[in-house]
Amino acid sequence: MSGEEEENAAELKIGEEFLKAKCLMNCEVAIILEHKYEQIQHMSDGDPASQVSQVFEKSLQYVKRFSRYKNPDAVRQVRETLSRYGLAEFELCTLGNLCPDTSGEAFALVPSLHSGGRFQGDAGNDKIDKMLNDLSLIKKFE
Amino acid sequence: MVFLQVEMSWNVLISPTQLSPKGLLLRKAIIVRLLEDIANRKASKDHGYYIAVNELKAISEGKVRELTGDVLFPVTFTCITQKPMKGEILVGSVDKILKHGVFLKSGPIESIFLSEKTMNDYKYIGGENPMFMNAHSKLEKDTAVRFKVMGFRWMEADRQFQLLATLAGDYLGPL
Repeated sequence: MSGEEEENAAELKIGEEFLKAKCLMNCEVAIILEHKYEQIQHMSDGDPASQVSQVFEKSLQYVKRFSRYKNPDAVRQVRETLSRYGLAEFELCTLGNLCPDTSGEAFALVPSLHSGGRFQGDAGNDKIDKMLNDLSLIKKFE
Repeated sequence: MVFLQVEMSWNVLISPTQLSPKGLLLRKAIIVRLLEDIANRKASKDHGYYIAVNELKAISEGKVRELTGDVLFPVTFTCITQKPMKGEILVGSVDKILKHGVFLKSGPIESIFLSEKTMNDYKYIGGENPMFMNAHSKLEKDTAVRFKVMGFRWMEADRQFQLLATLAGDYLGPL
């Protein structure tokens, strides 16, 4: 298993394409793919299941199962909320997808949060807790 | 799973029989062909999995290929892709349970191996419905599992990635 040795998501050493491109969370991809599926249904006026690729089909099933937020307004709010905390796109999406319950869990799942002095000491923990609390409020009122 | 929205350029080949004086029909033929091409390509080492064409940005002027009469249209569009990353935390579901480990799948990724060696105190229990169990949780078919990507490799022959996963780390395991 060689992979790309120099890349590592834990340290946010990620490929250039991740930095240039826009990253998307499961819930955002779910909205896009469901919309595409409807479009294909109209275009082929038949059974869309035969028109989409396996990769599309599997991804759609996956994001439907593992999206925490379903409502498009809530999905937009999640991105807005997370983008107030100076996160990299990749970190933002990982947090939005995995929905950690505590700051300890957030740091364990996204170790790169430790870098850059963004979330240091107790103040840093409080900031993360506030962010997670904001997210759970969005979920509650979805 | 973090998806990417990438801008890409591609050449779409249209046969002369599909060239129509009605602009919209030609446009439709180009779109249909682009979607087919993307579906057939499935994935690449550099871009990862091609999941869906999101937005068609531009269709440039076609160039006629002299021998066949086919017309090549350069197209730019945005595409949703997914590329595995070492160190990334993913959620997947159990596909198969074997004695020496578990096969997981996650989104477009079909082949993720979680070795029994990285599963700490989980013990294999065979039978009609095989599973891995420890004191508080179990993994059986379809269980959702949070894991970390230890490494991956591109398999050119099947046009897909193979991932190696681990449960060693805090907050990893069945959900």
